[in-house]
Amino acid sequence: MSENKEEWGSKLGVILAVAGSAVGLGNFLRFPGQAAANGGGAFLIPYFCALFLLGLPIGWAEWTMGKYGGKKGLHGAPMVLGAIGRGRLARYLGVLGVLIPLGVSTYYVFIETWTFAYFLKYLSGGIGIDATADIATQTAQSGSFYSLITGVDGDGLLFTGDSKFTVLSWIFVFTVNIFFVFRGLSKGIEKFVSFAMPIMAVCALIVLIRVLTLGTPDPTMPDQNVINGLGYMWNPDFSKLGNFQTWLAAAGQIFFSLSVGFGVIINYASYMKAKDDVALSGLTASATNELFEVGFGGMITLTAAFVFLGVSGTAGAVATGSFGLGFNTLPVVFAQMGAFENVIGAIWFFMLWLAAITSSLSMYAPATAHLKEATNWSHGKSTTVIAIIGTIGAVLTLWFTAGGSFWSTVDFWVGTYLIFVLAMVQIIYFGWVFGIERGWKELHQGASIQVPVVFKVIMKYIAPAYLIIVFVGFTVQNFKSSLEASWSNTGARAGMLTIAAILVYLVVVTYVGEKRLRAAGVDIDDNNPAD
Amino acid sequence: MTTLGWIFMTFSLTLVWVGTFLCFKKVLETPADEKAPPGFGP
Repeated sequence: MSENKEEWGSKLGVILAVAGSAVGLGNFLRFPGQAAANGGGAFLIPYFCALFLLGLPIGWAEWTMGKYGGKKGLHGAPMVLGAIGRGRLARYLGVLGVLIPLGVSTYYVFIETWTFAYFLKYLSGGIGIDATADIATQTAQSGSFYSLITGVDGDGLLFTGDSKFTVLSWIFVFTVNIFFVFRGLSKGIEKFVSFAMPIMAVCALIVLIRVLTLGTPDPTMPDQNVINGLGYMWNPDFSKLGNFQTWLAAAGQIFFSLSVGFGVIINYASYMKAKDDVALSGLTASATNELFEVGFGGMITLTAAFVFLGVSGTAGAVATGSFGLGFNTLPVVFAQMGAFENVIGAIWFFMLWLAAITSSLSMYAPATAHLKEATNWSHGKSTTVIAIIGTIGAVLTLWFTAGGSFWSTVDFWVGTYLIFVLAMVQIIYFGWVFGIERGWKELHQGASIQVPVVFKVIMKYIAPAYLIIVFVGFTVQNFKSSLEASWSNTGARAGMLTIAAILVYLVVVTYVGEKRLRAAGVDIDDNNPAD
Repeated sequence: MTTLGWIFMTFSLTLVWVGTFLCFKKVLETPADEKAPPGFGP
């Protein structure tokens, strides 16, 4: 174990850090699109079912496993899962708990950079949309700016002309990330999220109030008003509930939104004290995520789009996906707000940047902890190595921008597919190897709330079964086409090779750590339980 | 916006706002932590 012992400074700190990790771009951009496309208000039925049957129980299991690992002085997901699963198989499956956040960080910081670049542009006069032109022209202008910032039209474009602005923005964003990770948990990440989360809530509230007071901006189109905009998002279409796709989409949304199966919660919870309350912490972090997702995301994005673009324009925006909606359509919407355009645009993208950075900060911590634990290196040395890996990944992301193929490949396999795998591994080890009774006792140690006993059954039987069904459905729907797409061009192949390289690195580090910790007499197989 | 739309929206918003409020209330009501030990971070 590293001698540089880290711990959270306060119980609120870890809650905000986990909530910050969970609240990301998906809360504001992905959720409303998913809801509108899958039954509107009716989508909330499978959504809340998934929250109670998947999100909360798996989250609690991760918090509990992390805290248990911490009691034994273990912090990286491989070693924690090795102790929970009592052996090498669990330990090496736990490598996913580092691969996922580190792999996702390679492109997530790039997308985070877009939000920051947009924010800076709005601060300095806007992104070049002419509000007097027709909507089609404005959409084209917005699309041009999106291409300029993302380099989506070709590889290497970000290193040329005005697109260099993205690279400069990335340098700033990445430096901020590494700075706070370098400062450690309590002085770095915890301190940052303690400011960032309330500021993000205030920004969301300002935008929400502005959107809800838009009224009927164009009297010649009385149907395009706020109430109808809310109706576009919330009017239920119960026919969608008979479609398996709706339930799959709801489970997927809960899953990715709450950051379960991501490897971060295990790592963060491992720094809690033995008497800390993981039951209430897990619930509060999840509730905070839901507030941002349903309370803000569900009220702002599509309502604003509807008021200015109407039914067909909003449907078209939803069809372009989260990024099309957030970075292409919403700037057109802001352009219709007259004097408020740049103010609301700046607040919106600053809020998205805060949402993104509180997530990306959490992605480096598991890899740093894993390396420290395996090598007994200092925090600074370990952070430096992870920063170098992050830089290599980022340079690849910044170069292979054509069609977004590099990052979308990594996103599919690491940020989507492997999350399902890790979550299944975790909940099965928790319920069936560590033992549900033991896990239940551990969950309630120091808890100020009693989790309803039905969750025992959910954790042991329903969540694994639900996950397996969702996983099989997801695989049937996506696996073949995604595998083909993952080797179809240079960027995608680079993405696959990057994943492979990170995986090899992590397996080697885990092997080194296993040997070192055994030699040091650490009980990594949990032969002497700590409970 | 239909009546059912209002119902779904009101129920969902109430759930997330009240749920989050109650959780944080409970967190803040529980006794404060001990001061974290020195030696954090780098």
